[in-house]
Amino acid sequence: MSTVVCFSAILALALNFQWGLGGMVNFGLAGFYALGAYSCALLMLKGGFNTFFAALGAMGIVALVCGLVALVTLRVTEEDYFAIVTLGVGEMLRLVALNEDWLTKGALGLTGIPRPLGELIPPPVYLYFMLALSVVLVAACVWVLGRLSRSPFGRVVRAVREDDVVAATLGKNVLWARVRIFAIGGALIGLAGSLHAFYFQYIDPTQFSTIVIAYAFMAVIAGGRGAHVGAVAGAAAVMLLLEGSRFAKELVPGLESDQLAAVRIIIIGIGLIMLLIYRPHGFMREYRLQVPLKHSPGQARPQPPKEAPT
Amino acid sequence: MKGFSRRRILKTIGAAVAAPIGAPFLNLAHAQGSTIPIGVALPMTGNAGAYGPDMGEAAKRTVEMINKAGGILGGRKLELIVEDSESSASVAANLSQKFINVHRCQSLVGYWGTPEGMSSRPIAIQNKVVLMVSSAANAITEGDTEGYVWRFQMKATDWGIVISRATEQRLGFKSVGVMGLQNAFVLPIMRVFEERMRALGRTVVDSLVYNPEQPSYRAEVQRVFGKKPEAVYCFGLLPDFVSIMREVYRGGFDSKVVALSIAADSEGKFVNAVGADVAEGIRHFQPMPDVSAPGYKRFLKLMGAPADRVYLFPPNTHDQIAIAALAMEKAKSPMAVDWSKQIIPVGNGPGEAVDDLVGALEMVRGGRNVNFQGAGSTCDFTPNGDQIGRGMGQWIIKGGKSVFVEYAKP
Repeated sequence: MSTVVCFSAILALALNFQWGLGGMVNFGLAGFYALGAYSCALLMLKGGFNTFFAALGAMGIVALVCGLVALVTLRVTEEDYFAIVTLGVGEMLRLVALNEDWLTKGALGLTGIPRPLGELIPPPVYLYFMLALSVVLVAACVWVLGRLSRSPFGRVVRAVREDDVVAATLGKNVLWARVRIFAIGGALIGLAGSLHAFYFQYIDPTQFSTIVIAYAFMAVIAGGRGAHVGAVAGAAAVMLLLEGSRFAKELVPGLESDQLAAVRIIIIGIGLIMLLIYRPHGFMREYRLQVPLKHSPGQARPQPPKEAPT
Repeated sequence: MKGFSRRRILKTIGAAVAAPIGAPFLNLAHAQGSTIPIGVALPMTGNAGAYGPDMGEAAKRTVEMINKAGGILGGRKLELIVEDSESSASVAANLSQKFINVHRCQSLVGYWGTPEGMSSRPIAIQNKVVLMVSSAANAITEGDTEGYVWRFQMKATDWGIVISRATEQRLGFKSVGVMGLQNAFVLPIMRVFEERMRALGRTVVDSLVYNPEQPSYRAEVQRVFGKKPEAVYCFGLLPDFVSIMREVYRGGFDSKVVALSIAADSEGKFVNAVGADVAEGIRHFQPMPDVSAPGYKRFLKLMGAPADRVYLFPPNTHDQIAIAALAMEKAKSPMAVDWSKQIIPVGNGPGEAVDDLVGALEMVRGGRNVNFQGAGSTCDFTPNGDQIGRGMGQWIIKGGKSVFVEYAKP
């Protein structure tokens, strides 16, 4: 279960980068996630790649597709329409997975997906290995995204989100920045998809329904838009509420499982409403450049924050 | 935001990660106690939500009966862990992991739909745990299951055989149109049905596979019904069939409609959704228990249900638990590695045919061979885990009620 938290955390991180930091709404998340899982699985099953290169390949493929979507769409339309295009592309990808039997086996799904070091590690221990691997990857993603958002590119990303015209006036290539933002997020979605394929070893189109998007948005909103660690915490909270509430049955005696199924959904709803009432900004705030009070000798001139505090 | 230092967050995340990892170890003591846990994944919500509650009730009553009679393996009681599979593949896979790693279950039962069965299959095989499904897609038991995957349902291709034979012998349609949901268990039914129809010299005017969860099926309905076949066979689930039938009614098409009961009946939900006028005259098929078998009558008594009540899936859940208990008793072990090999001996025999579960358990305890006759079927299996000997019912909707027509085996 904790492993599942890790995929949704990576997914939330990807969305947080695209939407939270870059301001690009991605409603096609489920489709891109499916693309990642299917690419990874097919690279192994049909391409004969090993797990590591298949995961890398899946990241590359999703990044490329995301980049293309951003490039093609943003050249001709405003950013508002971009959300609709992602929705369409996502749905398209899901329908391809469902209907192209020769490639994806359609509704039957792909079975027997190999896992990293699957032959070496016995199944009872494997779960913990998978968890450790996922935790390490989440940490790596947080670190990489943390570095990125503190870098000059990170400032461009936020500048583009706040006001693309100002960013363009300052000589930044807004289109290229957005393509990169979306592609980087796409690579992460590809990674999450690969992990999904490794963990379940069976993928079918029903696993990538629109609810995946809702959970990812919930995670980012709960965690605080723009905050990476917050997104991870948000994903953990959403998944713990969703999956952990199954354990509530042991705590609340006299509740039948069909009643519990209904109660769980209510609990999740209440949890999110409470969160938004008491912590409207989410668990964490976005990283902002702090201006040091004293000028240290090494720093000639501190840079002012690029955007006004919200 | 000063309260949220990095250390504090790391601690919180650490605790969040550690708690689920620790949970299985805390439960170890519980696993070695005297009860034998059985994981039950049932569709309480989602597109098969109508069936979960009764299946759960059947499981509960079966286990109560076994426990009241003294349990198995020298007085060990069975303990049910019932969960909602939400009719979803990934939820079912997570549940299977939870059943195996948290509750230390050696038998996973329920698993109504094909996605649920397909996603749990590799988990069961890897962990050497028995998975008993109620799903129909042939793929579930195809390939090497190492004796850990057992189907308590008629496999999909057999559905096609029964439906085409009934069409030939009873319904007599000369030209048919076929619409099927893009779904792993519908496609084999469609394939077999169309092959048989053509072999019988009937015309298949159109064959169309449609996608789930579309807001409207107008184009699909117009294409197939527009060709005016005598009958349209629509193999789908409740939500899509409801929108298809509304479209058919609105379009005023007069082809007869044949469907699956999981769509056209669904415990009365279909008629409630579309009204009796739209539903009038629809024929529907579904694998069902042999209602005249003593095992089924005994099951009705266990459920406290009236004698004419037809349960489609709960008898399978009963049989799954019964076969698991019998196989464990025969193998004298709660471990699936041992008792999975005893499923065929207690289900197929050789031995005396018995439909009384408590009596059968006693006989096995006494070292005698039994051939258990279940409530949902005769509980006979092929070596790769497919159930044989389950039949299919046919109904027609008249005045908002499903009227039983006939029962047939493949």
